[in-house]
Amino acid sequence: MATASRTPLSLYVHWPYCSFLCKFCAFSKARIPAQGVEHDRITSALLRELRTSLLPHKDKVITSIYFGGGTPSLARPQHIGQIIEEAGKIAHLAPGAEITLESNPTSAEIEKMRDFKLAGITRYSIGVQTLNDKSLEKMGRLHTGAQGLAAVDRARSLFPGHVNFDMIFGFEGQTAAQWQRELEVALDHADRHISIYQLTVEPGTPLYRDRNAKRLVLPGGDSQASMYEVAAELCRGRGFRHYEVSNYAVGLEAESAHNKSYWRCQQWVGVGPSAHSRFVDPCSGRRISSVRIPDTRRWLQRCEEAGHGTAKSTVIEDADTKQEVVVFGLRMLDGLANARFREFSRGQSLSEFLRMDQVKEYVGQGYLTWDESTEHLAPTERGLEVIDSILLDIVP
Amino acid sequence: MPCLSGNLTEHTALTPGSVILADAACGLVCDLHSTSCAWHAVTTPFMSPTMKLLAECGLSSLAMADIGAESVLRENTWPMLKTVMRPSESPEITKRKEVDLTLYPPERIRNFSIIAHIDHGKSTLADRLLEWTGVISKESKNKQVLDKLKVERERGITVKAQSASMFFEYKGERYLLNLIDTPGHVDFSYEVSRSLAACQGTILLVDAAQGIQAQTVANFYLAFGEGLEVIPMLNKVDLPTAEPERTALQIESAFEMDAGDIIKLSAKTGLGIDQVLPAIIERMPPPAGSIDKPFKALLFDTWYDTYVGVVCLMAVKDGLIKRGDKIVSSHSGTKYEVSEVGIMHPEQTPTGTLQVGQVGYIVCNMKSISEAHVGDTFYREKHPVEPLPGFVPAKSMVFAGVFPIDAGEFDRLNESIQKLTLNDSSVSVHKETSAALGQGWRLGFLGTLHMDVFRQRLEEEYDANVLITSPTVPYQIKYKDGTMNFIRTPADFPDANTMQDFVESTLEPYVMATLIFPEKYLGNMLELCSSHRGDILNHTFIDETRVMLKCRLPMAEIVTDFYDKLKSKSQGFASFDYEDAGYDSSDLVKMEVLLNGEAVDALAAVMHKSSVVTVGRDLAKRLKEVIRRQLFDIIIQTAANGKVVARETVKQMRKNVTAKCYGGDITRKMKLLNRQKEGKKRMKKIGKVELPQEAFLSIMTKSSD
Repeated sequence: MATASRTPLSLYVHWPYCSFLCKFCAFSKARIPAQGVEHDRITSALLRELRTSLLPHKDKVITSIYFGGGTPSLARPQHIGQIIEEAGKIAHLAPGAEITLESNPTSAEIEKMRDFKLAGITRYSIGVQTLNDKSLEKMGRLHTGAQGLAAVDRARSLFPGHVNFDMIFGFEGQTAAQWQRELEVALDHADRHISIYQLTVEPGTPLYRDRNAKRLVLPGGDSQASMYEVAAELCRGRGFRHYEVSNYAVGLEAESAHNKSYWRCQQWVGVGPSAHSRFVDPCSGRRISSVRIPDTRRWLQRCEEAGHGTAKSTVIEDADTKQEVVVFGLRMLDGLANARFREFSRGQSLSEFLRMDQVKEYVGQGYLTWDESTEHLAPTERGLEVIDSILLDIVP
Repeated sequence: MPCLSGNLTEHTALTPGSVILADAACGLVCDLHSTSCAWHAVTTPFMSPTMKLLAECGLSSLAMADIGAESVLRENTWPMLKTVMRPSESPEITKRKEVDLTLYPPERIRNFSIIAHIDHGKSTLADRLLEWTGVISKESKNKQVLDKLKVERERGITVKAQSASMFFEYKGERYLLNLIDTPGHVDFSYEVSRSLAACQGTILLVDAAQGIQAQTVANFYLAFGEGLEVIPMLNKVDLPTAEPERTALQIESAFEMDAGDIIKLSAKTGLGIDQVLPAIIERMPPPAGSIDKPFKALLFDTWYDTYVGVVCLMAVKDGLIKRGDKIVSSHSGTKYEVSEVGIMHPEQTPTGTLQVGQVGYIVCNMKSISEAHVGDTFYREKHPVEPLPGFVPAKSMVFAGVFPIDAGEFDRLNESIQKLTLNDSSVSVHKETSAALGQGWRLGFLGTLHMDVFRQRLEEEYDANVLITSPTVPYQIKYKDGTMNFIRTPADFPDANTMQDFVESTLEPYVMATLIFPEKYLGNMLELCSSHRGDILNHTFIDETRVMLKCRLPMAEIVTDFYDKLKSKSQGFASFDYEDAGYDSSDLVKMEVLLNGEAVDALAAVMHKSSVVTVGRDLAKRLKEVIRRQLFDIIIQTAANGKVVARETVKQMRKNVTAKCYGGDITRKMKLLNRQKEGKKRMKKIGKVELPQEAFLSIMTKSSD
């Protein structure tokens, strides 16, 4: 079967260890154990789980792989290579597939960049976060802003056109004017992709506890909105298209194929502790959501005993899938085409599903656009900024 | 009754599925699943006389509880019964094996009540007296036997008057003593006065540690006004903090009565209990009336019993009544046949007869509680009598809108309110429709505690989920043509044009308040009263350190947070009570709340002109705190007489989007979305503005100082 007609599948690999823990991070992670990372053990567990989980999808084509974490740049490049190779052995790895590795801008990781490229990584993503050294320190990160930019420069020479870095706004005491100056400098170093997030206080994080204990006061809603708007404005000026709430790229090629598979509700398999999967079960034809055991130690044990560390697997009802398609589709400025919606809706059209009176009202107010003939729904820039409010009204 | 255990054997034959169990409205039901034996005896034609005997004798030594008729009578219950039942000083038994009440002429009857402030031990004293006379057993844990509603036990208050009959031997004579319970709180003063109408005397029970409280004063004057013999008693004298001498002095100075031979007791430990009943017999007059006159009885309480229908509590003023008699209501002229008469002992216990001076219940095929007109006089068919003066109907002093939180619950809530008002006819009910809240009711209550109790009963006994609007008092509008109109809801308030052209004056209800507190809070209390438009009449020292203050206040000032302020400004030491004090003309205005120009009917309120600015500003501020930002600016305005008093803006929400949403975040994001959608459903929409429940709650309390 030709690759083009096969069902696309994305692969997410979670590497759980970190050399430092960031105060805002709500992902599953573990500080490197005292005796050091058991590289071989974790790699063989990942490989085992990969084999168990990918086998049912052997006829699908892997269009992207994403190494996230944790800090996957702490892994050994040859192990990353083994995982990529194994995936290609089980299913079909599309030629030119986007294979991303997340990293931190520490010197040790920068040194390994070339080896990661040799191991098969095609896209490099760096957690620069901010250029403000004080904020970095407060968030518990062990690098400077200058190191961040240096890592970006280095990555650009190795992965030209395929480098991303993350920036965060909304730190304590930050103003929109400060943020604008900072982002301008960052954009001077940017390749063709940048992710810009508002600092979000997630439950269970040290940041959350600090804020609740009033040790931390973050900028108010209006100033966060201003910073968001500054980012959109600046990026547009530099030729970056705001293609998703927090993601900007120059040219369609540079957009993250892997992340778009999430927002388009395509299929992906995740391996590693806490990794989520969402795929159509080849046997039942039903959409499944599953999640691995979040605790690394317990995940390792389960993988070694049972070949995988799945904690929970549930069938997603059609009604929920339809909601997801809309909720995630509208995170992208391109919005949601009726044709894509109908892939999930058993023939129901977007206008039959949505609360159209509300849609029309938001269209009238300039928050959404709706193409009557094709039934294509998309948020405007203004709409995207408040899309969570809009979704509550338009999704039945 | 030494023969009792012998008689018990007869019943063994009755046990397995006998006839009494076939009748749902019946008889003797015994549940021995629970540790205490519970009995409920109701006359039925099927009930064997011996069973009745058993019931009566058993009743004197068993803990009582009203239990479902579906409970199964089991064979193994009888041996257990034998061990629980002890021969007691049982009353005389007739041929029908019932208590023979004809042996109790008025001179051997005393009808009395206990009046006391909350927590001064009224219910405990009642429990002790019932134990002392063997009506309830000492072994079982008797706690507030007369307080049957869950809310009463929880809050330690009495809402519904109950009564219980006791037999007591004194100086060689047997007496029938009827304790008629009275609610302690002023909100239920209507209940108090009708209970007192069935008594000739009352015990004024005062906590010797706390001293006289405002409610004691109010209830004392109610009793005094009825011409009852008041016997003061001091409770809790065993407490280390008790000051019996000082409390006795307070009683002397507040009530101008001789407290020299005051009875000191501890209802909790039983200390002094033996003096209580002799004092009642010695000092209270027996009921008047004559057995030779035609039957005449005052209906002073009713309730609805699922099995037998309406039960009427009556005080027989003259003559005699027995099962099978035909009686007529003076109020409606309707004729009824008496199917059962009896006493509360403490549950319904049939006696076959009731006669002059006695207090008991009558079941007479009344279908609906509305037929039972409290205060009505009943007489024997063809023997009409001069009706008793009766009662002034309970007046609703506080009105509030009640709405289902979920409009789909309307029918269920309607049924619950109907059921609840069956046993509380003092709640007035009118349907109301609000543009903001949909279909609901405007309910009238006797006071704010009454309202609160009603809400609690709705929620606890009927599992209802309700939204109650800010309480208002019944204002009056006097028109130029001389007609008067009550304002139950702010929607009834005349508009500006009508006001100008047709209204002569507006009036608001006043109360006479009594405050009792330690001297050092005098300044605070005076200030509290004047800041609530109060007119201070006088203050007197009831002992060296305690002050009694009399003050005339607009009723509207006390329905919201007056009581809370009183407590906080006196560190909890002040007590407060009030009575109706008529109407006075007053400069009233209706304050409206507008959201983006649209009036929210459920938030409107009628108030005195002087309150408008403070309340208007405060309310706008509070609403600003609870209204969430939406995608447009929300202008909150409070306005009176067409003029805006205060204005606040809830600014448009500029940004509401989850920053990070990747593969692992989807499940959580969807859960959040659905939870928020649920929350949105509970919002009330005013135009496009979403108003949370808190908006209605926030206006329940008046100001934030």
